[in-house]
Amino acid sequence: MHIGATTDSRSYRRAVAAGRARMASAGRRPWIGAATVLGLAILWYVLTTATGAVSPARFPRPADVWSAALQLTLRGYAGGTLWLQIWYSSRLVLLGFLVAAATGVPLGLLMGMSRRAEALINPAFLLIRPIPPLAWIPLAIVWFGLGDAAKIFVIWFAAFVPALINTYTGVRTLDRTLIAAARVHGASERQILTEVMIPGALPLIFTGLRLSLQASWTTLVAAELVGAFFGLGRVLIIAAQDIYPGMIAFAMALVAILGALMTGCLGLLERWAVPWRRT
Amino acid sequence: MGRSMSQISFQSVSRVFRRGSEEILAVADVSLEVADREFVAIVGPSGCGKTTLLRMAAGLDFPSSGSVLVGAREVAEPGPDRAVVFQQFALFPWKTVRENIGFGLKCRGVPAAQRNAAVDRYIEMMGLQGHENAYPHQLSGGMQQRVAIARSYALEPEVLLMDEPFGALDAQTRIEMQEELIRLARVNPRTVLFITHAVEEAVYLADRVAVMTRRPGRLAEIIDVAPVRRAEAWEERPIEEVMDLGSFTHLRTRIWKMLRDEREAKAEAPRVTPLQRRKAGP
Ligand SMILES: Nc1ncnc2c1ncn2[C@@H]1O[C@H](COP(=O)(O)OP(=O)(O)OP(=O)(O)O)[C@@H](O)[C@H]1O
Ligand SMILES: [Mg+2]
Repeated sequence: MHIGATTDSRSYRRAVAAGRARMASAGRRPWIGAATVLGLAILWYVLTTATGAVSPARFPRPADVWSAALQLTLRGYAGGTLWLQIWYSSRLVLLGFLVAAATGVPLGLLMGMSRRAEALINPAFLLIRPIPPLAWIPLAIVWFGLGDAAKIFVIWFAAFVPALINTYTGVRTLDRTLIAAARVHGASERQILTEVMIPGALPLIFTGLRLSLQASWTTLVAAELVGAFFGLGRVLIIAAQDIYPGMIAFAMALVAILGALMTGCLGLLERWAVPWRRT
Repeated sequence: MGRSMSQISFQSVSRVFRRGSEEILAVADVSLEVADREFVAIVGPSGCGKTTLLRMAAGLDFPSSGSVLVGAREVAEPGPDRAVVFQQFALFPWKTVRENIGFGLKCRGVPAAQRNAAVDRYIEMMGLQGHENAYPHQLSGGMQQRVAIARSYALEPEVLLMDEPFGALDAQTRIEMQEELIRLARVNPRTVLFITHAVEEAVYLADRVAVMTRRPGRLAEIIDVAPVRRAEAWEERPIEEVMDLGSFTHLRTRIWKMLRDEREAKAEAPRVTPLQRRKAGP
């Protein structure tokens, strides 16, 4: 923004005030978020418990969720206790996500760097990409059975795509002058990769990884709904069969919390790996 | 230490760009020799092909016809023997000032201790103390430009290719940098191709000033400054004094006039280029 001579002092003052407000709101943001959550919790309590406006058979009361939480933690539900179910789901998500990142990012780099690799991979990619990852579940079951391998395969498939596309875009949209600058300062092809292309693409690589992680959770829960012996998706489907809204709500909350925790870890990793973006 | 000859030679160089179905003749039949350890400045209107010429010497672009030689070898690829200071700085946003300046030395495999010593020297020379660990986006435009210059100097290249390297500097820093460049050129003479819009800067720095026409860029004239500089010992005097000398203002005014004539000639009748003539033919 440029404050030119034509700008009157009123709009200048307004701009300054807006800037100050923006800074203040950045400090206030966590509090606003906490207030929203608290407000929703009170609304929930009022609607289901205090007034009974919503029937507990349709939407669980806080007390129902609490007792479901106690049951899952102490006695277990759908074949295991809380920790076992969390361990099962998190492990599969992490495995699928890691395999997807370990294949999607390098392939994206390769496609971004080499026109030949792009020409080779892109057609296959365009052909397979419109198939929704969940449509692979039946084939995965036929190939790998109901065990972990099938789920990891489907998660990989869902999480691989955003990792690859964003990495590829990150390399492709890199300022060409920077690559030229590296060349004239004597960088080898390998150094151009490690010193320019990877760091330059890193912000978009992390965007891709965040989307990958979300896709991993979505796909895992869907896969566990279809067929699993343990896991949060299994808890959800059993609770639906038992018509147990408290447990459904608790399992959904667990998925949300675990997803948020993993995304948070990724955010920390990004802060560490992309220090120049920090303000 | 043996030093190879590093003259730059443009031999009837033309460069045609294609933009859709249109052909743009950016550089038309330029022949220019920059002798070993000579400092040649190129001035000319915006868009006349100065950057294109420099990129061809760097090995980042190639002539459509004619050839570009550096040290008697046809330019085939970029190399650290020809460091470039880019018009848009081209600093690595993810590297600190220190890492940017040391980049070329790191690529060359210079050990860290030795590299740090060299980087410290250039940080001091460019007045960047206190900003060693800043990232480029945290610096002012002028500071970014100084980092870019330091990054190229640090390689101690035989050939320096500079594209308006002082364009973003304030008048005071600009003068300091010009004097510094003169000092460097005296301590360790190297071949320099220097592009600028500022006629005074060209006259002050260069042995010869090449004046280009509007697009399609040709060489209008080459002005030999070196004999005057040597006769009047410009390098021994402060820059303000040199810029007041009759000989200096005479050369500067001559080039200004040339550039203005060039503008007016264009306004009267568009120049017909060989390429356009060919296309217009039956
Ligand atoms: N890659 C390209 N594709 C198409 N046209 C180009 C390309 N690069 C340069 N040109 C054209 O070639 C001409 C010369 O460009 P160049 O950048 O060399 O000019 P310049 O003399 O450096 O200008 P300035 O002083 O503004 O930096 C311009 O008309 C420009 O539009
Ligand atoms: Mg230019």
